[in-house]
Order: sequence, then structure tokens, then C-alpha cells
Amino acid sequence: MDNINDFSQFRRQSKKGIIVIYLNLIYKFLKAFWILLFLFIQKFSKITQETLLYIYLGVAVLLIFLMIRAYLIFKNFKFKVEDKHFVLQKGIIKKTNTSIPFDRIQNINFKQNIIQQIINVHEVNVETAGSSKAEISIKALTFKDAKDLKNIVTIINKKQNLKADQIEIEEEKPLLKIGFLSLLKVSLTENHLQSLLLLFALLVGFFQQVNDLFKGLGKKEELSNFISNNTSALKTSVILIISLLVFLSIVAVISSIVRVFLRHFNLTMYLKNNAFEIYQGLTTKNSVVLKKEKVQHITISHNPVKKKLGISFITFKQAVSGKVNKKKDKSIKIVGCESIHITAIKNLLFPKENLNDFNKNKAEPYYRFRLYNRSFIFFIILNLGFYFGIENVNIFWLNIILLPIFVFSIELNYKKRYYYFNDNIIMLARGTVETHKTFLPFFKVQNITLKQNIFQVNRGVADIVFQTASGKVKIPCISFENANKIYNYTLFKIESSSKSWM
Amino acid sequence: MTDSFQNIEVFSFPEIESIDFKKIEKNYFKVILINLILVFLVLFAVASFIIYKDWLEIGQHYIWIFSALILLLVVTFIFEVIGFKKRKYAVREKDISYKKGFLYKSLTTVPFNRIQHIEIDQGPISRFFGLATLSVFTAGDSSDDLKIKGLLKEQSLQIKEFITNKIDG
Repeated sequence: MDNINDFSQFRRQSKKGIIVIYLNLIYKFLKAFWILLFLFIQKFSKITQETLLYIYLGVAVLLIFLMIRAYLIFKNFKFKVEDKHFVLQKGIIKKTNTSIPFDRIQNINFKQNIIQQIINVHEVNVETAGSSKAEISIKALTFKDAKDLKNIVTIINKKQNLKADQIEIEEEKPLLKIGFLSLLKVSLTENHLQSLLLLFALLVGFFQQVNDLFKGLGKKEELSNFISNNTSALKTSVILIISLLVFLSIVAVISSIVRVFLRHFNLTMYLKNNAFEIYQGLTTKNSVVLKKEKVQHITISHNPVKKKLGISFITFKQAVSGKVNKKKDKSIKIVGCESIHITAIKNLLFPKENLNDFNKNKAEPYYRFRLYNRSFIFFIILNLGFYFGIENVNIFWLNIILLPIFVFSIELNYKKRYYYFNDNIIMLARGTVETHKTFLPFFKVQNITLKQNIFQVNRGVADIVFQTASGKVKIPCISFENANKIYNYTLFKIESSSKSWM
Repeated sequence: MTDSFQNIEVFSFPEIESIDFKKIEKNYFKVILINLILVFLVLFAVASFIIYKDWLEIGQHYIWIFSALILLLVVTFIFEVIGFKKRKYAVREKDISYKKGFLYKSLTTVPFNRIQHIEIDQGPISRFFGLATLSVFTAGDSSDDLKIKGLLKEQSLQIKEFITNKIDG
């Protein structure tokens, strides 16, 4: 690395960036107006030659317009590094000038979608936390530029002027690498029901759009007739239902595999400069830098099958900005970890913390009582729904299957609620089929709430809610005395700690 | 270490239960009352309008509708009276706490060294009584942070000043 860019002068992205911006604009346009395209294809034969010409002309004008826009966006997008600030100028008509101090930068992440992979450029995302400024996304940089930029920001920030070659050596041995077979194992043991629901949600969204279209065309009745005919056929045929179930489970497994492979293909994790570097993805390659101190809490999860295979996944929760956007959940998931990896990661994040010698604290029996109460109410509503919705007494036999499932999952849920803690860290376990263990250092807590409803007051139990910079962590239904002790101890830890939470 | 809480006895530090919580200004109850009356005036107006126009064909049951509304008003009023006494706050050397609730009790404490910023605002009715709301924000999902309603304006400014000094100093 002889000629390292210092980014001290304003510069633009790689010229290939125009293509990326252009295609991105077209993609956005198509996403918004795909219905028009659909209509166009459907009525293609009915459109006269003359109108067709106009349509082609319109499309051409639009494409040129977008091209000019892409060029202008590119031309006006300039950035530099100055005085430990990342400075960005952008905007065609409305110019914005953003300056972010290095210590506010949470992550510098690389990303490559399929187009960026083909033309060999990297998208660089600068993530910030604790400031209301929006995230910065540089659409196209060459790999060298991207790397230099990252090094400047991360190294100057750390004030440890490590030599570049030293970093290279460290990078050689990955902390964790998930191969094809492990990934297949992960995808087969995923929660397939969840995958199915996700797929279903996607289809419902699609169906609604199509439905709106048909409504507009006055064909709604045809469509609903078609559906109701098919559903009445369903009711009579048991074989059809069974084959549907088989089909759905196959779809669920396949969608799990596709989902896992798309997101986590070639997952590799390095430790470098006191930060984790994570690379993953098939069509869209992601590279994320996760600074150790910015991790607020981690959750280690597995289900019974995964436990048998000895794999689990870790979710890292990072601090989020003041305005929380539900869509932009900044959690990072590492799938397919074996127990050595987990111990390694835990030791890196929370060195010398041992929880094994401490007492296991369970949730109070009131927690189980509350679960039974809540599901009882749900059960009544469900049965009322049966009664009014389906005029067939036989439907109530379904309760015989549902009841044991309810009881079983409540008992499991109650059994899996426990927590351990030592001087510095608290571990909370929860889950029904899956088991999630959350590790939270006390000093990372932002504020703490003790909650009791009137029944809990009578029983002498309370809930504790830890508010952290990356969301809430709850301990439900522990004895009031213990809750109070944890409350006081957490406050003591926060107030006496001089460590920065981020 | 067999007892998990052993280390707590080594360091002695103030217990949250043993500190004196202050009640909020009595005048704030008037604010609550006025808000309640306004909400129910709207509800009564809507109900009367529906009955007058007889859209839902429930005109003949108007006695029941109004009784239900009055019952709701009385119950809400009683809850507000009891709940008002439960609204208390405390400012300690290093943190600020607020507790409220009667059916759902909650106690929240925010340590000063985690505060991002503090806001003081006044609604139109509160302004008339010289009252203000003090909101304290921490990092992350700030929707559920601490909010003390019904402080005197000067008092809220004093608290804000106190906390700001503590953070900077």
C-alpha cells in the first residue's frame, strides 16, 4: 500500500457509480409503477400502433431523464475527510452539507449487490449512532478506495497507528468461517413455520396489489368467485388438505434454505483492530465492521434440533440513533456458530466473566399463572370465533389438539425463564421451542423501570425492564425483593462506572 | 460465592425504596380534570348527534348510552383521583426517578450520566396554571424515557439546571 489516499480533497465516487445510480433509479421507478407495466403487458395486443409509438417515446424520454438525473446526482456527490470529520456534499438543487465527527461513526460497512459485483465496485455505508443525522451511503467506490477510507476513519479514531501490513497479517486467520455444509445444516433446522409466514406475508402483499388492480378493472367478482369455488372444494376433500400441507412444508423448507443462503452465504468473521469484521451474502455481499464497545448486548439462540447438532446463532445488538426506525434494525446475526466460536466471542466481548458458579434464579410461579390466564382469555376468544364463524359443532374437537399444545408450550416457556448474574453482567434466558440467552453488561443500561400491576403487588412480584441503547430487555415476574436489589445494584453499577457505553 | 447478592452488602448505597419521593403540584389535577371534561364533552356531543340523527337505529336506547358514558366518566375520574396521588418524583445526587400508577405501578430511574438531552414543554392548559413537563431522553428507543408532568415552571428549570451542571461537571 504505497499511495494511500488521504481523502483530504473533495472527490467523487468511482465513475462506474453513474451506472449504479442509474440502475437504482430505474429500479425504484419500476418498483413504484410495476402495475403500469403489468397492465401494459396484459393489453399489449389491444394497443394500436400509434399509441404504442407514444408509449415507447415516453419510456425513452423517461430513461433519458433518469440518465441525466443519475449523472447530476453523481456530479454533485462529493466527500472528503477533514479534521477528524467525514464531510459530505450532495444534492442537485437543494444542497446539503453533512459533517460527521469520527467518534460518532459507528460502522463503515461494505455492500455489493449483483450489479455492483459485476462492475466491481463497493457500496460504502457510514453508520452513525447518537446523532440525528441520516446515514450516508456512497454507492460506488473501488475496493482500494473503500478500504483506505475505512482505515482512515477507524485507525485515526483509535489513535493506534498500526502499520497497514500488520493489519493484513491479522486478517489472514478468520475467527469463524461457515462452509456450505454447515449452512445447509442451519437452513434445515431453521424455524420453517416462520419462513412460511414470511413468504405468506410477501404473497399477501402481492395479492393485495393484484386485487386492487382487478377491483379497478371491475373483475373483482370473477376473482372472488374463483377463490370461493376452490375453497368449497377444499372443504370436501381431505386428500387435498393433506397434499396442501405436504406442499406447504416443502415450500417452507425451500424458502428457509433460500433465505439462509441469500443472507449468510460464505459467512466469514475476522477479528481486527478490536472490532469484528463480518462478510456474508450471495447476491448482495455485505461486509460489516462491528466495534466491540458498540455492541450493547448479545443473544445466543438455538432450538432442540440445533442443540443436537451443536450449532446456534448469535445476534449482536448495536446502539441505534435517537429516531428509531423499526425497519432498520441494527442487529447483526451470525448463524451456525459452534460452541468454541461462542466461547471465543464471549471471551472477546466480556473477558473473564464467568456465570457458572452463580445461582440460577427462576421466574416466580406467578409468571406461569399469568401465562395460563392470558392463554385462557385467548382460548375463549378463539372458541367464540369458532362458534360464530363456523357453523359446525365438530370444530370444537379441535380443542382436544390445541389444549395440550397450549399447556406444553406454557410449561416450557416457564421452565426456560431464568437468569444468572455476577458483578458485571446479567444473563437472561427465555423461549418456548427455541432458547434465547441474552448477555447484558450492567453498565450498558440506559435507564431502568420496575413495573407491577395490582395483582403483582398482592403477590409480591415485579417486572424489570432494562432500557438499553438497542432496545428493551425484560425480566418478568421475579420476587419484589430481588427486583429491588437488582434495580439498586444496576443503578449503582451505572452511576459508579466511568466506562463509556458506546 | 454462594449468595448472588453478597457483593451488594459490601458497597452500601442508597435504596430506591427508602428515599423521599415528592408529589407533583396539586394544580396539575385541575389540568387533568379539564382535559377529562373536554374529552367527555366531545364524546357526549358525538353520542347526542348519533342519537339525534338515529343512524345506528339505537335512538330508543339513549338512556343506556348516556348512563354508560356517565359511568365511564365516574370510573375514569376515580382512577385519576387515586392515580394522581401516586405520581411522585425524586432527584438524587446521581439520578432522577419517577413513579406512577395504581392499577399498573411503574418506577423509572434515569442515571444522569446516561442522559442525552432534557426538554421542558408546556401545553396551553398547563401554561395557564404555570406548570410544565420535564422530559429526559436517553439513547436508543427514546419513546419510553422519563417524563414528569405537572411541575412548576421554575422548579422544572431548576431541575434541568441541576442535571446539566452534574453532567458537565
